Amino acid sequence: METKLLTQHVGDPQQHTMERAIEHGAYQAWQKVLKEIAPADLIQIVKDSGLRGRGGAGFPTGLKWSFVPKDSLKSKYLCCNADESEPGTCKDRVLLEGDPHAVVEGMMIASYAIGCHTAFFYIRGEYDIGQVRMSKAIADAYAKGFLGKNILGSGYDLDIVVHRGGGAYICGEETALLSSLEGDKGLARLKPPFPAVEGLYRCPTIINNVETLANLPHIVVKGAQWFASLGTEKSKGTRIFSVSGHVKNPGNYELELGYSLRDLVYGLAGGILDDRPLKAIIPGGSSTPVLLPDKIDTKLDFESVAAAGSMLGSGAVIVMHEETCIVWVAEILAHFYMHESCGKCTPCRQGTGWIYEILRRIEAGYGKMEDIDTLLDIADNIEGNTICPLGDAAVVPVISTIKLFRDEYVYHIEHGKCKVHSQFKLRTK
Amino acid sequence: MILSDSAKLQISQTAKRYPKVRSAILPALHIAYEEHGYLSDQIYEEIAQILDLKLIEVAEAASFYTMFPKAKRGKYLIQVCRNISCALLGSHHLTAYLLDKLNVELGEITADGLFTVVEAECLGSCTTAPMMQVNAHYYENLTVEKVDRLIEEFRSQK
Amino acid sequence: MSDFNITVNGRQVPVIKGQTVLQASLAAGIDIPVFCWHPQLVPVGACRICLVEIEKLPKLQVACATIASEGMIVHTDSPKTIKVRQGVLEFILAHHPLDCPTCDKGGECDLQNLTFKYGLDYSRQHEPKHRVIVDANSTFDDLQIGPEIIRNQNRCIHCYRCTRIVDEIAFEDDLGAYQRSYHTEILPPPGREIRNLYSGNIVEYCPVGALTNDDWRYKVRVWLTKQTSVICPHCPDGCNMKLWNFHNKLFRATSRANENIDNGFICDIGRYGYQYVASPDRIKRPMVRRSGELVETSWEEALSLIRKQTDDIKSKLSGSGFFGFIGDIRTNEEIYAFQRLLRRVIGSNNIDHRFHRRRRLTPGEEVSSRGIESDNAEFKDIENADVIVVLGSDLHSENPITSLRVKRAVKRHNAKVILLNPLPTPLGKRAATLEVIYKQGTAAVLLHGLIDAVVDLERFDPSAIKLSAAEISDFRKANAAYAGVRGSEITGVDVTLVARVAEILAAAQNVFILAGSYVERDPLRDSLHLAVANLQSFCKSARKIFLPPDSNSVGAAFFGAEPTVLPGRQSWGKKAIYEDLWHGPIPDAPGKDTIGILEAIDEDEIECGLVFNADPVRLFPDGEYVRSVMEKLKLLVVIDSFMTDTARLADVILPLSTFAEIEGTRVNWEKRMQYSQRAIPPLHESKPGCEIIELLADRLGVKFNQSKPSDVYQEMARFFPTGAPTTYAAIGRDGFLIRSAETNKPGKLAYLRFVAPAIDTEYRFILLVGNADHHRGTLTERNEILMKFTGEPFVGISEADATDLAVSDGDLVKVESKYGRVVGKAMILRDFPSKRVLLPENFGEMSTNILMGRQDKIDMIKLAKM
Ligand SMILES: Cc1cc2nc3c(=O)[nH]c(=O)nc-3n(C[C@H](O)[C@H](O)[C@H](O)COP(=O)(O)O)c2cc1C
Ligand code: SF4
Ligand code: SF4
Ligand code: SF4
Ligand code: FES
Ligand code: FES
Repeated sequence: METKLLTQHVGDPQQHTMERAIEHGAYQAWQKVLKEIAPADLIQIVKDSGLRGRGGAGFPTGLKWSFVPKDSLKSKYLCCNADESEPGTCKDRVLLEGDPHAVVEGMMIASYAIGCHTAFFYIRGEYDIGQVRMSKAIADAYAKGFLGKNILGSGYDLDIVVHRGGGAYICGEETALLSSLEGDKGLARLKPPFPAVEGLYRCPTIINNVETLANLPHIVVKGAQWFASLGTEKSKGTRIFSVSGHVKNPGNYELELGYSLRDLVYGLAGGILDDRPLKAIIPGGSSTPVLLPDKIDTKLDFESVAAAGSMLGSGAVIVMHEETCIVWVAEILAHFYMHESCGKCTPCRQGTGWIYEILRRIEAGYGKMEDIDTLLDIADNIEGNTICPLGDAAVVPVISTIKLFRDEYVYHIEHGKCKVHSQFKLRTK
Repeated sequence: MILSDSAKLQISQTAKRYPKVRSAILPALHIAYEEHGYLSDQIYEEIAQILDLKLIEVAEAASFYTMFPKAKRGKYLIQVCRNISCALLGSHHLTAYLLDKLNVELGEITADGLFTVVEAECLGSCTTAPMMQVNAHYYENLTVEKVDRLIEEFRSQK
Repeated sequence: MSDFNITVNGRQVPVIKGQTVLQASLAAGIDIPVFCWHPQLVPVGACRICLVEIEKLPKLQVACATIASEGMIVHTDSPKTIKVRQGVLEFILAHHPLDCPTCDKGGECDLQNLTFKYGLDYSRQHEPKHRVIVDANSTFDDLQIGPEIIRNQNRCIHCYRCTRIVDEIAFEDDLGAYQRSYHTEILPPPGREIRNLYSGNIVEYCPVGALTNDDWRYKVRVWLTKQTSVICPHCPDGCNMKLWNFHNKLFRATSRANENIDNGFICDIGRYGYQYVASPDRIKRPMVRRSGELVETSWEEALSLIRKQTDDIKSKLSGSGFFGFIGDIRTNEEIYAFQRLLRRVIGSNNIDHRFHRRRRLTPGEEVSSRGIESDNAEFKDIENADVIVVLGSDLHSENPITSLRVKRAVKRHNAKVILLNPLPTPLGKRAATLEVIYKQGTAAVLLHGLIDAVVDLERFDPSAIKLSAAEISDFRKANAAYAGVRGSEITGVDVTLVARVAEILAAAQNVFILAGSYVERDPLRDSLHLAVANLQSFCKSARKIFLPPDSNSVGAAFFGAEPTVLPGRQSWGKKAIYEDLWHGPIPDAPGKDTIGILEAIDEDEIECGLVFNADPVRLFPDGEYVRSVMEKLKLLVVIDSFMTDTARLADVILPLSTFAEIEGTRVNWEKRMQYSQRAIPPLHESKPGCEIIELLADRLGVKFNQSKPSDVYQEMARFFPTGAPTTYAAIGRDGFLIRSAETNKPGKLAYLRFVAPAIDTEYRFILLVGNADHHRGTLTERNEILMKFTGEPFVGISEADATDLAVSDGDLVKVESKYGRVVGKAMILRDFPSKRVLLPENFGEMSTNILMGRQDKIDMIKLAKM
């Protein structure tokens, strides 16, 4: 069963309007924060809640905020990361289109906590409806006096600026997002300095995911204790999982952390398409290792998925049935990373292309047996040696598919063709 | 000047929202793209001029992203997601089907000037795969029938 | 010096706080390979070749960007590091064309070298290599991206040194990296080329053969060349360069990275400037005038002729019938030997090096001896200033590397830069905090008005400066006519702008004032020098430099090329020392300066001139007058490498070797004496200056036996302050800073008397002389490469004047003064003030000095469309 905390009202076609959102309790948390809670206390509350980032890495949100230097005279910035581009992932979009006010309110609360007066909402350029609805929600919030100067008489000022990306996955990576927001190419930057210390315009900056922020109003209204009671010991709250691929009912499902993967795939998502046997699952977006069917009983929380050999990542559960050629899958993902590498550092810029070329050759039937080791070695030379995690992400599909499906690679190379040929056709109806 | 006065105004207005004007390059490119459907060196120059930035800043940034093509496209730019969730549900076939149906090569413009088909990476519509983006809009859960109908609609709207 | 140690490969390595692991390791002699790192650039950590293992850290770290911290234990040769290094090289090579045999970088390519040292000896790359095709019909992927630079994108390893040099160092915007991923491509912005004044540096620092220079390509292999260390002769910055030759032919110049001066960057003028050495226009053999024509002859004949004719003149007029001019680009040795020749052998003190129009000798103006010299200061001091004032200088063109230092101060230390100039200059848009344009001739008023505005500020703290309250208030009273609105009416500078400059100056801790050519050319040049000293007195702490016009102007002044001072800046009273040293008398009275000399020729008091690498006919104001005067000489001996306007009038010409063919020392604006090696033997029948002077001295009756510069150096070195090196071998990389104790102290305040020049309704435009892009002085037009950048003289005018006169770009316009006229193509300059005309001084076909009057304070002209 879903636990609808963030998505409670997304089914309501009018939830994106100010009136309906307010009916459903929007901006109560914001008013409470302005009236009753000091920034430092707010940070503590979020720390206590155990909220961890929903953007991929799962970093504790309150802790991240506390890295912003308190005595710095520089402006502080908040960036809401709505660049959502990780293959398989479309959970932020649900909130942007279905409950934009919750995201706006989350941004307000986070801004207040870190002392930011200009916040940026960075949305991937292709998300048109999301952008329109968020812009409208922000405009309405100004009209209501929830944004602007001296908000609700509190003396606190806040502006939110909507910034559309231009089509680049890398801009979801926080430092590249900042480069992009500064008007530069979306090139990742060396860390340190970390954005919390030196980010946008060289000022302290916090980057949080849409879903992370959307949790904040609930935490403020219902309390840290309540939030911490949801989920598992170390993974608190809910997450929205995007289930895609070979399932009968693909879709976004909000689940309490710790929910079973089996119940998600076979329950909520209705089981495997055409009732075929399951072949593999990618549990957290394209950058997370593949799981075999034997891991179907894994609980969906940060720790359990890690124990199963993968990562919770962006919560994108990609399901593949037996007809899926795994080399083909790896090739598709390799193409993606090659295409999206920002090109700044050597291993990723050169390595992602090389991996793709080899996979394409294998897939086309011209593989050599030594290619498998070459692939693994290239991956090893990329992993951990790049500026940003895109390089690490890029090698995950290669390494994990070779690890789990080496025989399929071997078959491919020996026979010059797929073991199972994925000829997925467009349905007629 | 290629950009209209209203586009120019919009660009300079947008710039005011940012602490540093260089941040307005992306919004400016969007505004220009929406007005013209593609970008050109001349447009880069104009944006640089409006924002009082260097041409190189605009040109470099524009070249980095996928959404600011310099080549003219058909009236309907069809971007088919080629990534995993869509691929598992037949997006490669979808691309082939469209190319065949429209009798055009990837990236080219159909003879009637209406369509250009390109492949795109994941567009964040994975749970409603396969999908395609036509200009700004997403068309999801595509089937042969739906694609046929859409193309008909586009053709009749011209 | 070090703050703590780290351990690298088991060795203790001292670290200065803030240093990176790489910097500390390199300093300790531990080699870590790099591609993208460059000592002067902000680390980007892009290439990843420098990844090293640091204990306790889970991942390898880039040495180039990791700040060393106490207790770090680093391994640069562990199995993990070696593997990743090989991996990075393999990645780069995966798409790198294997065209080393035809690549001009071969032999000095970082990729080649590091692959040899660390790379795998096999390849697993079977995929086709990416290729950026420029021309589908060609197998070469070369793209000309600038007048002198060719790009081969396939060889690019994406280290971004080139784009960072252009951006971070040069503050230019004509090169970028476009697109992303492996498609990333290095290009100028659309529709443009890379042609900034520093563009050659990107070729030098490209670690591979992706960027190459036209002058070097396909001509010679690096390992066949010989290199020599020289000092650039083109401006007083004194950059350290290496000249590369093969079989005595020069092929290129590169930097010799001296962090005292150039930090490893040289400007294109210096880089390509060597080309004039091999110009076909060189004077190849001695020449004499026979029945009106100059014809080639032998050295012997030329020297005998000189002997014969000088004897005649000497018997008639004695030594005072002679004069000598020597150019500011000659070495100290040549200058010293030349003045010795004049004073001791010929018996004339009529010697000058200030025949240059940059230095307007203004008769009648009172020259105070104190406060108007440059202070003791170095390039490094510019960087330590929080406010830099550039006064009357197109610093970018006149002192390109000084200009980089100013930019560095901005980039690294957020220094504020104030430009006070008679015209907008390239530095303005690139680095200036405030750019002030004054009316030429009113700079002294501007400075006095500025001082008044500083004092007017609330934040002005009189206790922070060394002036008494009475001095300040008297000064203000005397200045009333130049302050506020009244001053602004004279200078044309808005009072609010003056106030903003004043704000910055009042807040400054450390000011550096760089005064340039427009100060030297100012009609109130000496008052302006004093005004600068006054400004200095009102700053908490300030240094001032009056930038000399040419590469060795400082040396020329120091070693006696002026009529009234003896070598070592010794006063006339010390004459006996020199007579002792030179075994004979020198004339009692000091000599005449340039103007005096010209007038004396006119009055038949002087009949013979020795002009050594100097072209007063082309340069000194009122060119027609200078020509007519020079024509009156009975004997004009020109010692030069080129057929200059002056040489055309000569009776005897002796071919002179250029900077590359001689050794010697020169002194830059820091007063740093540096040694320049001889790169190639003298070309044609030319001879080095010292040899020619010795020949002349010998022929005229005195032997010094010093035909080698090193011999001359030993003698003249005694005039240096103590501590100076006495042999060439002893001159190190740091050179020798000529320092005198009494500078850096402004004296008493000097009052200004400004009289506005009478307005002539006919000649309403002010003439400003400057430099064309990629040109400086008159040698650069002998240079094919530099002519590619700007090959034609132009007449720069404002947009408003262009509209007024209905002139468009490229139209022929006539520039006319009372003295002469020139015709040239109009170039409309954006943001240029109206009623001014800018002419470049670099082109023979458009000499600017013919427009100038000898006695005029300011050069006024009229302008008309042809
Ligand atoms: C290549 C790459 C792409 C990323 N894309 C996104 C994204 O689209 N949205 C997102 O929220 N985080 C993304 N991240 C993670 C962000 O860098 C960052 O960790 C996150 O926005 C922090 O927010 P959180 O702490 O709220 O999770 C990406 C990271 C990488 C390396
Ligand atoms: S890892 Fe890839 S995306 Fe990240 S900085 Fe390097 S090249 Fe760019
Ligand atoms: S052209 Fe040369 S300097 Fe520039 S990025 Fe490429 S390799 Fe580096
Ligand atoms: S700055 Fe001056 S000294 Fe240096 S290279 Fe250029 S011309 Fe030569
Ligand atoms: S994979 Fe096609 S929209 Fe995500
Ligand atoms: S030299 Fe350190 S990353 Fe390039």
